[in-house]
Amino acid sequence: MRFHSVLPEGRPIRLREETRLFAWESLQGKYGDEVMAFGGVHMDDVPDFGLLSKQEQYDLALIKIASEAPIRICPHEAVSGAATCGLAVKHFVPAMYNGEPLWVSVSHMTLGFDRVLYEGMDAIEAKINNAYASSPDNPELKGMGNAIRAMRIWHKRYIAALGCTRPDIAEILSRVPFQPALNFYEAVQSLWFTFAFTRLCGNWSGIGRIDEMLGPYLEQDIKRGLQTPESAREILASFFIKGCEWIQSKPEIYGGDAQHYQNIVLAGVDKNGNEITNTVTYLVLEIVEELGISDFPIAVRVNAKTPKALLIKMAEVIRHGGGVVAVYNESLIIGALADNGYTLEEARCFANDGCWEVIMPGKTRFSYVPFDALQLLLENTLRLSNDPACYENIDELYDAFLKAMENKIAEIYTNMTIHFTGGGPDIPWVWRTDTDGKYDWLWPPMVPCSAVSLFSEGCLASGRSYLHGGSTYVMVSPHIGGAPDVGNSLFAIQKLVFEERKVTFPQLMQILQDNWEGNEELRQYALNKYDYFGNDNDEADVFTTRILNDFADIVLRYKGKCPVQFPPGVSTFGRQIEWAPYRAAVPFGRKRGEILSGNLSPTPSTDTQGATAVIKSYCKANHRKLSNGSALDLKLHPSAVTGKNGVHALISLVEGFVALGGFFMQTDMMDAEILRLAQEHPEDYKTLSVRISGWNARFVTLDKTWQKMIIERTAQRTV
Amino acid sequence: MTAGIKLPVTEIQRFSTQDGPGIRTTVFLKGCPLRCLWCHNPETLSKQPEILYIEQNCMHCGVCVNVCNNKAHFFNKDGIHVYNAKHCKSCLMCAGVCPATAIKAVGIQMTVDEIMDVIGKDEKFYGTSGGVTISGGEPLLYLNGCLDILRRVKGLGYSAAIDTSGYFDTDNADNDCLNELIELTDLFLWDYKITNNEKHRDYTGVGNERILHNLHLFNKKNAVIALRCILIKNINTNPEHYRGIASVYHSLNRCAGIYLIPYHPYGSSKSKQLGQPDNANPDWVPHDRDISDAKNALLALHCPENVLL
Repeated sequence: MRFHSVLPEGRPIRLREETRLFAWESLQGKYGDEVMAFGGVHMDDVPDFGLLSKQEQYDLALIKIASEAPIRICPHEAVSGAATCGLAVKHFVPAMYNGEPLWVSVSHMTLGFDRVLYEGMDAIEAKINNAYASSPDNPELKGMGNAIRAMRIWHKRYIAALGCTRPDIAEILSRVPFQPALNFYEAVQSLWFTFAFTRLCGNWSGIGRIDEMLGPYLEQDIKRGLQTPESAREILASFFIKGCEWIQSKPEIYGGDAQHYQNIVLAGVDKNGNEITNTVTYLVLEIVEELGISDFPIAVRVNAKTPKALLIKMAEVIRHGGGVVAVYNESLIIGALADNGYTLEEARCFANDGCWEVIMPGKTRFSYVPFDALQLLLENTLRLSNDPACYENIDELYDAFLKAMENKIAEIYTNMTIHFTGGGPDIPWVWRTDTDGKYDWLWPPMVPCSAVSLFSEGCLASGRSYLHGGSTYVMVSPHIGGAPDVGNSLFAIQKLVFEERKVTFPQLMQILQDNWEGNEELRQYALNKYDYFGNDNDEADVFTTRILNDFADIVLRYKGKCPVQFPPGVSTFGRQIEWAPYRAAVPFGRKRGEILSGNLSPTPSTDTQGATAVIKSYCKANHRKLSNGSALDLKLHPSAVTGKNGVHALISLVEGFVALGGFFMQTDMMDAEILRLAQEHPEDYKTLSVRISGWNARFVTLDKTWQKMIIERTAQRTV
Repeated sequence: MTAGIKLPVTEIQRFSTQDGPGIRTTVFLKGCPLRCLWCHNPETLSKQPEILYIEQNCMHCGVCVNVCNNKAHFFNKDGIHVYNAKHCKSCLMCAGVCPATAIKAVGIQMTVDEIMDVIGKDEKFYGTSGGVTISGGEPLLYLNGCLDILRRVKGLGYSAAIDTSGYFDTDNADNDCLNELIELTDLFLWDYKITNNEKHRDYTGVGNERILHNLHLFNKKNAVIALRCILIKNINTNPEHYRGIASVYHSLNRCAGIYLIPYHPYGSSKSKQLGQPDNANPDWVPHDRDISDAKNALLALHCPENVLL
């Protein structure tokens, strides 16, 4: 058992041997293979199933899933409940009819599990029954009640199965999650069981602020002598190991596994502004440090008062590689949310959707719309595919690009309103009494999702589902991708055409149409003579910064125009791969089809001045306006952070990032040599995980293009 | 203040994590009185500006051949670009015109203002421990220049370190300057290469008397010193040297640590780029075993574990 680390000394050992073995088997795919053996339930034997409404079909499906999904109790688990349907792994509700899955499931959210811990499912059920009593015709409320009934069926099956083999767990489950958790062990079991139930029904939720939820239970238990940090670590480790239950030994090769968006947010302030860092915060990091589990991407909320010990622990975990732990600049984000109209108290409660997009846990129904800003420049502004444009100066060119971006955002906004209402952007609001008496849209019903609505605030009060506009907040965020590539292109045009006059504008357009063929000398010049975005060169960075700030301003013009929140964000996730074949050659010397900038990171191999310069370039944008999130992927070579000083250096990077006004930074330790070895001998590197974007994946589950992108992505090093 | 002083800089490296505590900006000054056979940074030996020719980046466009008046760049009869360092007069024209990154000039003269501009860029990352390291070459060949930088650096509150071979002239140096140097420098990273003096002379070109003399002088003046000991298999991985390291360590009042740095052959690619013979020697690379032997020997000689870095 060697859990992969880039450090030669390997990972520390704190957990019991059985627990470690449990982790090892899960990571090798033992339980994931079992899951794939049972796809889901079949609805064909239900009489007249096809004649039922979608909601009725869904209600029956949940009951069937809860009754028939295989029960699994692993020998060394400390908490029970397992999402054992293969279709769930593929983002479907695991119910089939006529050989096809019936519905796509829901992801990109963090549900309100805290309410289950504190109140219990019984209390939530009572609220639903009350609401249902006053509007008995509401099928969605009925569906939420039905989801609890399904949960109860599944719960009873577990208690029965555990009775003989694990009476200790059966006893805990006899109280939670239906009653409030009274101690740490019950709280972990309650959280896991509820999370597992939403997964059983196919949904991929984030966990949210696990230390805020579980920490007070543990502190109290330690005081009462019921737990020690060591015993608590074993219990909590089960939560993380069971979170690997969908890993397969021979996974499908695509964009990487382990991306079920089960994000965790650690540390930071509570709604009253008090730091919540507690024993659970450290235990989570220690478990990840030891087992290298990457299935729960972790983001630590860092602020000026973050305890030094937490920064040290965080740096120690990051140093092992795997890209599991990322950083939020908490104060900036809370400020951004307050700018957007949240109260300070609510803003302090933020978590994320499954990558880094900032949402309110248990309250927000989220989606985003990505667009390729580079393609806008190349096709709409420069018109490289047909009759190339000609601009007299850089301002004229930039204004044309801005116009194209305005049109793009207008299009995204209009499509969003059509999606939700069936009407255009001017669809009237109506006075609704069901949502605390405020103006809102009449939302048309969407696919049923009761197992999710249960845990999203607002759905109960409005009697509408999560996808039916029932959540407290509905958010659609336009995401700009390729901004550094646009910035670099404009900078190169400014230099080559308008300042140094190496070529005329029409000549450069012809060169780009020819994919730089026959112009290798000029191409090398464009590639090498200028310090592009990522080198802390103001002259270059000003372009990318301006694009981002203008993008944010354009999007913010729509603020308050409809009931949907419309905050600006930045991402490509892996889309720079999909976009590459459609993009023309670019002015800064890259040829057609090359994979360019990811998220808000420098274009690969353009950054030569080290990690601090990358962070500085990135931080020049006004990230407070980009309130949905703007991510920097930082790749460090392990040699840059070796020894005791490596930990201090990493902390200094994070502190600099926060001081300079960054938003979100995911740091991975990368050694291109090791990645190449892993390509050759995938069998030896099954637990080697890498940061992809807002999530991690085991490297061997990436296809060749993705692996290549990861290897080529900048690895900063100092030797 | 020496107004307008210029220093030959080979490189200013941001995000250095191996040249003292925290994140540092390392300023490499050009020129070294030693000629260590294993030198990792051969481009810092000469005080004169030089060019590095990086063959794999060359696109054989010939632009450099056209600007070179001294035939340092030419095409051989197979049409391959050849760089002949002996003919180079350091005009650096070729580096200016190379469209690829095949020719790089090192040793550009920079004013202290210019150096400080780069240092200031990473201010937010220095925190309480990080800062600036002046390295080389031998930075104390430029005592006044170093002082100019140090005064500015300390004025801004950054940590300051000097990475030195220990071989520089203290006999003719102004005593006030030396005192100020020690006052301003938070940490001296001091090379201690070979204990046996004859061997030291054979392998570095100079004896170690001066180095030890300066070390004890600085120690007397209460400097904080960390020893940087390169481990070169078959040259200094022997008990005599370990006793020498321990003895120096015990003689220091304020020793901040002993760095054991294994020899690596990466300097050889730079030798080739300078148009010099490859100086790499794989036999010199110490094994993990050699490094742990050295550590154990020093522990046995009462060098505490926490100073072995």
